[in-house]
Amino acid sequence: MTRKSDYVTVGKDTQRKDGVAKVTGSEKFASDLSLPGMLHMRLLKSSFPHAKVLKVHTREAEKLGAYTLTPEEVPDIKYCPRLVSTPEATYKDWRILAKKPLYVGEPIAAVAADTEEEAQLAVEALKVDYEQLPAYFDAEESRKPGATQLHDAIELKGTIINPERNIACTLDLQEGDTDAAWKECDEVVERTYRTNRRYHLQLETKSVLVKPEIDGGISVWSTTQSIHNTRLLLHEIFGLPMGKIRVYKTPLGSSFGSSIQVNTIVPIAVAMALKTRKPVKLTMTREEDIRDHVSYNMIFKVKLGAKKDGTLVVGHLDAVLDLGSHQIQAYALLGCMAGWWVSLYRLKAKSYKSVAVYTNKTPSCAFRGYGNPQVSWMVETIMDELAEKIGIDPLDFRLKNYIGEGEIFWGQGPTVKSVIRSSGVEEILKRGAKIVDWYNRPRAGNQTGRYRKGLGMGRGFHTSSAGAPVPGTVVDFSGAIIKLNEDGTVDYITALMDHGGGTLEAHAKIIAEELCLPLDNVNVISADTSTTVYDVCTHASRGIYSGGGAALKVAKQVKEKLRTFAARMLDAEASALSFRVDNDRKQGVIYAEGIKGREVTFKEIAYNARHKNWGTIAAVDSYRQPACPPHFTGYFIEVTVDTWTGKVKLDSVVAGADIGTVINPKLAAGQVHGGLAQGWSMAVMEDMSYDAKTGDLINNGNLTDYKIPYPRDMPDLEDFEVFFVETVEPTGPFGAKGIGEGALNPVAGTVANAIQNALDIRFYELPLSKERILRAIMEKEGQ
Amino acid sequence: MMDINKHNTHILHRFEYHAPVTVTEAVKLLKELGSEATILAGGTDLIVKMKDGSERPRHIVNIKQIPGLRGVNETPEGLWIGALTKISELENSRVIKEKLPVLYEAVRVIGSVQVRNLASVGGNICNASPAADSAIAFLALDAVAHITGPDGDRKVPFGEFFTGPGRTVIKEGELLTGISVPRDVYGWKGYWVRVARASMDIATISLAATAKMDGGVVKEIRLAWGTVAPTPMRTDNVEDYLRGKKLEQNIIEKAASLAASSIKPRDSGRSTGPYKRKVAKGFIHEALTRFAEA
Repeated sequence: MTRKSDYVTVGKDTQRKDGVAKVTGSEKFASDLSLPGMLHMRLLKSSFPHAKVLKVHTREAEKLGAYTLTPEEVPDIKYCPRLVSTPEATYKDWRILAKKPLYVGEPIAAVAADTEEEAQLAVEALKVDYEQLPAYFDAEESRKPGATQLHDAIELKGTIINPERNIACTLDLQEGDTDAAWKECDEVVERTYRTNRRYHLQLETKSVLVKPEIDGGISVWSTTQSIHNTRLLLHEIFGLPMGKIRVYKTPLGSSFGSSIQVNTIVPIAVAMALKTRKPVKLTMTREEDIRDHVSYNMIFKVKLGAKKDGTLVVGHLDAVLDLGSHQIQAYALLGCMAGWWVSLYRLKAKSYKSVAVYTNKTPSCAFRGYGNPQVSWMVETIMDELAEKIGIDPLDFRLKNYIGEGEIFWGQGPTVKSVIRSSGVEEILKRGAKIVDWYNRPRAGNQTGRYRKGLGMGRGFHTSSAGAPVPGTVVDFSGAIIKLNEDGTVDYITALMDHGGGTLEAHAKIIAEELCLPLDNVNVISADTSTTVYDVCTHASRGIYSGGGAALKVAKQVKEKLRTFAARMLDAEASALSFRVDNDRKQGVIYAEGIKGREVTFKEIAYNARHKNWGTIAAVDSYRQPACPPHFTGYFIEVTVDTWTGKVKLDSVVAGADIGTVINPKLAAGQVHGGLAQGWSMAVMEDMSYDAKTGDLINNGNLTDYKIPYPRDMPDLEDFEVFFVETVEPTGPFGAKGIGEGALNPVAGTVANAIQNALDIRFYELPLSKERILRAIMEKEGQ
Repeated sequence: MMDINKHNTHILHRFEYHAPVTVTEAVKLLKELGSEATILAGGTDLIVKMKDGSERPRHIVNIKQIPGLRGVNETPEGLWIGALTKISELENSRVIKEKLPVLYEAVRVIGSVQVRNLASVGGNICNASPAADSAIAFLALDAVAHITGPDGDRKVPFGEFFTGPGRTVIKEGELLTGISVPRDVYGWKGYWVRVARASMDIATISLAATAKMDGGVVKEIRLAWGTVAPTPMRTDNVEDYLRGKKLEQNIIEKAASLAASSIKPRDSGRSTGPYKRKVAKGFIHEALTRFAEA
């Protein structure tokens, strides 16, 4: 394999292809789009957390000249908005417009009018007769015997399931002889942890534009992480032939997992477009968006045992998932949570019990890390606590027990196991420890006075994709089309969505590197479902690893065709030809080494191929990754706690990451910066709480009362060191792995450990708000 | 109960718009329109309330075209601040930064740069939020509100200005034209502090403290609080207790405890009463410790 230092384009910082559009505000996101004659839609949402809709009265709204859409008018089928899992792992409990809404904000009806203002007036003119039903805001309450059942019948692969006691799904696992293993332990820690519920607060709210076509088909522009899954679902719901559904790639303003599923508003808008035969647009207000999606809320009862010499032995995790009112991917998550839990540290025996429970809250969906930030918070804090109990340094404890190269890890759960082939864990920990002078950190409980400093560390990982040696219950493959243009540039066409992190920029670099082209000669073409081959979805930190893998595979095929044509033109042996970038001519060049004059540019090849009728050089293929290699991260975070106010200040951060070959250095560091910000926010700020009387959010959907950090709450970049360790992932394109989720996963645990170091207090519930911290200090210090 | 289908629609209702160009004209208009009129100054509070539907005035009276209501000017009596003065203009005023640092510290954390460039100081005051950052600074600076109405001008000390959350002494037909700060408080010691969930946020609790010291002895002191009661408030009893005292450790401790029990915070979605009482203690401790230093 080529050494990293020999790469021409991979690993170099370059200007992003979409950079100018982004910074000048000229990029068009879904909510910026409009069409002539377009109607504006608004939703009538349930005001109750659980109710039966008896009737929707539309006459007054129609008198205003608006179109209306009621639950009676949409296809009466149950669907699951996320199509990433196979049918046996996909639970369907959604209806396009609810007849029995299960959360405040669930769409019941919709209107369309010439302006948004008229549409809003029409919404206000709709009248709904409701029968209110009991609602639950706590998973422990909703699964008590005698609790009202929220769903009567949900579907799993064509069969009807009756979710008794509001249990949506369960998953139990066992490996090794746990009974015997517990007897080997010298120390055991047993704790209960409760996570917060976090809103994604993606930059753009969800939006959709649908145009009914003259042939009976539809064109769709929507906020999505997967255009093909959007088309598949619309085909499933509306029965339109797939050739008549075109879903266009639309730039995403982040997402963070909130559009892995096809958004609730998409089928509603399609139903309205099919009814009105006019283009319709539906954009959620921020307040609607806040009531649309949220992270999963988890309760962990965990037990972890080790020997005196610091060898971890066995663990048990009992996990309760409060999934809210509808399933998007709860079952898949139960499996992943097991994977997140057992993949950081070696346990020779382990047992796992998990249950996902319905409540009358906002439906939960994936949020960057897909449960891993929650699980890693628990793992990394209980590891610290166990290390303390044994009397071993927590960093040494981790070095002794981490799962590394050559070992099997579960990645995305028991169905996605694979062997780790690259690991920079040890280097991350040792280098980070040296930078922060880890072994001389303050001793917990030694400080008095108002301000106390703490240094904590934590590890994390995430799988790069959900690839595996054998198929499981998760679909993961990608595809690409590359074709040579007559000017010697190539068009790269992929269905894979870039959330804004620069994933497609990385693909362009991979293609440029492989084909020996200047980066500018790789055109990233915006396309749609009819002009691309399938890609499952941009999630699971798979954009570079899986999507980039597909781009590389197809680039290699194009390279061989180029070689063949060049050999004909140069009258040379194809296998003897070499490729190089010629930056002066802005061309890729193919040449016979050492023979003067025997060289040809890509442009000359394309020119010749056209005039001699050889055809277009192009290739298309799909690619399945054989593994889902973990990218590893480690954080060292220093904080100051003000014991008079409970406020924690982030002083400095050192973050190390093993992401294999780094394709976009600055953008990769940017992922770490963003991961830190989101993790800090999770640790100390965020929580969605509900008013049990109204069932609505206590903040009424207002961002005024949902805080995330501002730039001034973050450390200066001089106090934030990010380093990448040198590893090469043999299965990754040019040795690359992912970064998006691993950048976030360890942060909350690290912050909690830093606060513990400052105060000698451990917390088992998130967030570590100033109120919670101050109360704990007052209790500890007897005030 | 709030109806989620009608609340926060982001759509403004229909209203009539007026833009008087003199105070007299504005007052006349406000009197005529009575409770159906709302004043538009910066708009950073009003427009948000109109978009979320919590205010639906039939008439909007934009006072921004009235000359003479904007600016920071020194007068023989002290400082005059026009009601239309932008928060960012207070932030950038040299005299405020030098002579009234408590006010400077308070205004520079209001909203964002964009909000400070739009918002008026009069609006921040008349919105009458118990958390209003500028209000507590004015309370601690013995400021006076200047009001013009159909019956002429009147002056109201800030201590009497707020009558409840969102409510002030300003009556129908009246207009806040400016705020004055007496020269007496120039050079007083000042301490301003707040805690919040994030750097840009409504204060969880805030304190503006000013004092005239004489060799470690308190001659005069003002302690003005945000978000501990339905209005910005002063803790007169703590001020009375401290007046004439030398700020020794036991006095400071006593004052801090007294303050914690004198404020009237409630539990809310944003914070808790016990939290605020504990923090208030620390605030007073810090303020008085600083005042005690030479």
